[in-house]
Amino acid sequence: MSISRIKAVLYQEFFVSMRSVEIIMDIIFFPVMTIILFGFLSTYLSGAIGSSIGQRVLMGMLLWDVIFITQYSVSVGSLWNVWSRNLSNMFITPLDIKEYIFAHTLSGSIKSLIVFLITSVISIFVFDFNIFDLGVINLLLYFINLNIFAFAIGVAILGLIFSFGTRIQAFAWGLLPLFQPLTAALYPVSVLPSPLKEMAYIFPPTYIFEAARASFGSTVVHWDLIGMAFATNIVYFVLGVLFFRLMFKKSRESGQFARNES
Amino acid sequence: MSEAILEVENLVKNYGSTRAVDGISFSVPRGKVVGFLGPNGAGKTTTIQILLGITERSSGSIKYFGEDFFRNRQKSLQRINFASAFNTLLGRISVYENLIVFAGLYQVKNPKKRILELAEYFEIADLLSERYWDISSGQKTRVNLMKSLLNDPELILMDEPTASLDPDIADKTLTLIENLRKSRNLSILYTSHNMDEITRICDEVIFLDHGIIVAQDTPLNLTKRITGAQLRLIFDDHKKELEDFLKEEKYDFSFADEHTVIINTKETLIPKIIFGAGKRNIYITDIEVEKPTLEDVFLQIARKEKNVN
Repeated sequence: MSISRIKAVLYQEFFVSMRSVEIIMDIIFFPVMTIILFGFLSTYLSGAIGSSIGQRVLMGMLLWDVIFITQYSVSVGSLWNVWSRNLSNMFITPLDIKEYIFAHTLSGSIKSLIVFLITSVISIFVFDFNIFDLGVINLLLYFINLNIFAFAIGVAILGLIFSFGTRIQAFAWGLLPLFQPLTAALYPVSVLPSPLKEMAYIFPPTYIFEAARASFGSTVVHWDLIGMAFATNIVYFVLGVLFFRLMFKKSRESGQFARNES
Repeated sequence: MSEAILEVENLVKNYGSTRAVDGISFSVPRGKVVGFLGPNGAGKTTTIQILLGITERSSGSIKYFGEDFFRNRQKSLQRINFASAFNTLLGRISVYENLIVFAGLYQVKNPKKRILELAEYFEIADLLSERYWDISSGQKTRVNLMKSLLNDPELILMDEPTASLDPDIADKTLTLIENLRKSRNLSILYTSHNMDEITRICDEVIFLDHGIIVAQDTPLNLTKRITGAQLRLIFDDHKKELEDFLKEEKYDFSFADEHTVIINTKETLIPKIIFGAGKRNIYITDIEVEKPTLEDVFLQIARKEKNVN
């Protein structure tokens, strides 16, 4: 992998992000507004049924946005090149697909970290909830795990878009909400009805949200849950990468990769 | 014989049961411009996409600079580039930002200096800070050409670089390409539907039809393959004598008016017709010979006529 080429893709991501109102709206404005909404909901719930429930919901939303922003960046980042008929230009250079995906993942992680910091600070000052009470180790482990899951989903969606074309581009921003209720981001898994309860543990973020709720207000690390998150994430990562490779190969064989721009 | 920059051998591409490229072989020598022509659906675009590595071949070999492309993808792509009227850069960001990204992808040393040098050469230094979607088609073409030179390539694949340009800008672009070729000893694989352009800049032309190379030669030799020409004679008032003479000699002719005849014949027979008419005291006041052009060759191939050798 070449650092210069990864840097070039990161520059492109930076330039496009700075010039696109859509990106700013999608990854900064909407998450911030969501946190404000959930912050008020948390304040309301605090008064009605006790402080920790509302704040746990807010914590779940802060962590969910990490997944959303990284996945969005991995999947939608490439669509800007497709929409501008620039994707072929990128891949007729010595740029390798691994470098390209790595750069988009890194860019997504940086964006999600920045937005996480912004929304966390808003939560501290406006809603009196400090997610940093979970401690740096917990947050780092959560962040890594949520990013791996977001990458796996993002890269799989990107593979589908490369293979089937922009007619399914809505998956890039529309598929993730499917996982939000199933991963029990905002409530304990125990709330889910029986078949969904078992299904929830297929998804790595479920363990992270459960771990965060279990550690709420302390720096205790729930290694059992974190370990399960890492274990399932390895499976997701491998499957995501293999699926992407298969779709990418298929799209180059069928000519769809080049046709995506026509 | 100069060194081959690109060698394609027995290249095949199947899309399901459809064969888009059917075992083509050709090469592009150093410093030469090779035209790549064919009607829509002939397999040109597929071939170019395979040559650039964005579409997979079914079989066959491609060598750049004597080395297998598929084993040396990055090394090969570092030394070639592509310019097309149909691929654009990112519209929302500036020309300079687009170019600095590509300079990074090609690992250009001192990218800022390189971009400024090329911008001066293409006379677009004042456009560097403009957003790409705000500049005109002619300016975009120059920016695309500039992008294709960032890595100082030895071969450029050009896909209709002058499409959608007005004749003046198209002519300037062609002049630019001709100058680039001379000053850098560039090799170019050039596709276009404009036969005048092809005749003007190509050293050799490859005609592709239904995925097969149906003709390959210099533009001049290709036009010579069409033996027919159209002779238009303007004569005095001996129409009857001229008609008898042409019938006698079994020429294919028609009268446009009382003093004009159009004769479809072989180019080599034209002097015989003129002298024959003279011997019959037919006074010819004007002669026009329409020789076949590359466009005629193209049309005959596209329409599957058989008198191209």
